[in-house]
Amino acid sequence: MDTLDARLKQFFAAPAPGHLARRVLDHMAPPPDLSKLAARFAIEAGDRGVRRLAYGRGRDVATRAGRRHLERAREELTDYLAGRRTFFSVPMELEVPPFQAKVLAAADQVPFGDVTSYAELARRIGHPRAARAVGNALGANPVPIFLPCHRIVRGDGTWGHYAFGATLKTRLLALERATPALVGCATTRIICRRGCAHEQRIGEPNRIVFASVADAVSVGYRPCRRCRPAA
Amino acid sequence: MDERTFARVAEEYASRLYAVAYRMLGHRADAEDAVQRALTKCYAARASYSPRWAVSTWLYRALSNVCIDELRRRRPTALLDEGDAITPARGVERLDLARALETVPREARLLMALHYVDGLSYRELAAVRGISVNTVKSQLARGKAIVKRALDEE
Repeated sequence: MDTLDARLKQFFAAPAPGHLARRVLDHMAPPPDLSKLAARFAIEAGDRGVRRLAYGRGRDVATRAGRRHLERAREELTDYLAGRRTFFSVPMELEVPPFQAKVLAAADQVPFGDVTSYAELARRIGHPRAARAVGNALGANPVPIFLPCHRIVRGDGTWGHYAFGATLKTRLLALERATPALVGCATTRIICRRGCAHEQRIGEPNRIVFASVADAVSVGYRPCRRCRPAA
Repeated sequence: MDERTFARVAEEYASRLYAVAYRMLGHRADAEDAVQRALTKCYAARASYSPRWAVSTWLYRALSNVCIDELRRRRPTALLDEGDAITPARGVERLDLARALETVPREARLLMALHYVDGLSYRELAAVRGISVNTVKSQLARGKAIVKRALDEE
């Protein structure tokens, strides 16, 4: 029986998948609610889109033709901070040097919930030795959150600086980690980004959260043509 | 129990809970799901946890209830899934054991899993399942006898 005991002991030891507890705990923790913060942001909008986002003081300012951009930006920002939106569709009106424009455009390509490093972003825009310049360009981002410079962190995994403070950067990244980015509808079999008008009409029993577009496509879903999650 | 303590406890026990669930349910995804459901239940009830009880008893009791519920809900399936990476030489032996364990009644199998994964004593097993120590002893002996008989037949 002793050998049987040893064999059973060896048999029952199943290696657990890595970070199981962390994944379970992350799943259990409710997403942080930052919706109250929306009132602390001031948005400035011009005729062609959002010009500036400030934190802590100031009031919303808009040109006559920019009011509709302001309203849309305010609505999208509130939804984003409440975990109901994962992307922004309001246009931006940026007057920045070409290098900074390139950096901000590259930062905008970092997906919701993901992070990348300053050095990696520098490599992506074709200036692999300009990590520090990339950091400066992001630091002068006139529209943080709308153009997600908070998704850029240091190569060693620490957060680095953030225009609105390290605490807010941590809270934004925690919010993005806890918010499901892709939602499918079980009846139409269409997958949307969170915040898409179509996604907001999906009934609670028909909602299915997906980890990736490829995952959804593999079980017969197609990407929404409006919010284009595969893009 | 506060959130931080619970997180620490969950980190400490997750792999052992997983091992028990995997050997009970036979599939990695089901085992992860069972651990998640057990921990979620414990998390929701963490305010009512009393330090008089052993944490392991509390967690294993929640997990065993989840596993038994899951097994009741579905038909019995193979204990070994295709993702179980094993070397060919040891593979045959493990497959034999897995088949032999399939013939063990689920209550005895659960006690065996708890006993062999974490080395829980008879008294602890009795507390986890809410049965007497003597029942634990007889169930374990019966489970082992069934496994031995099944192995001898093969």
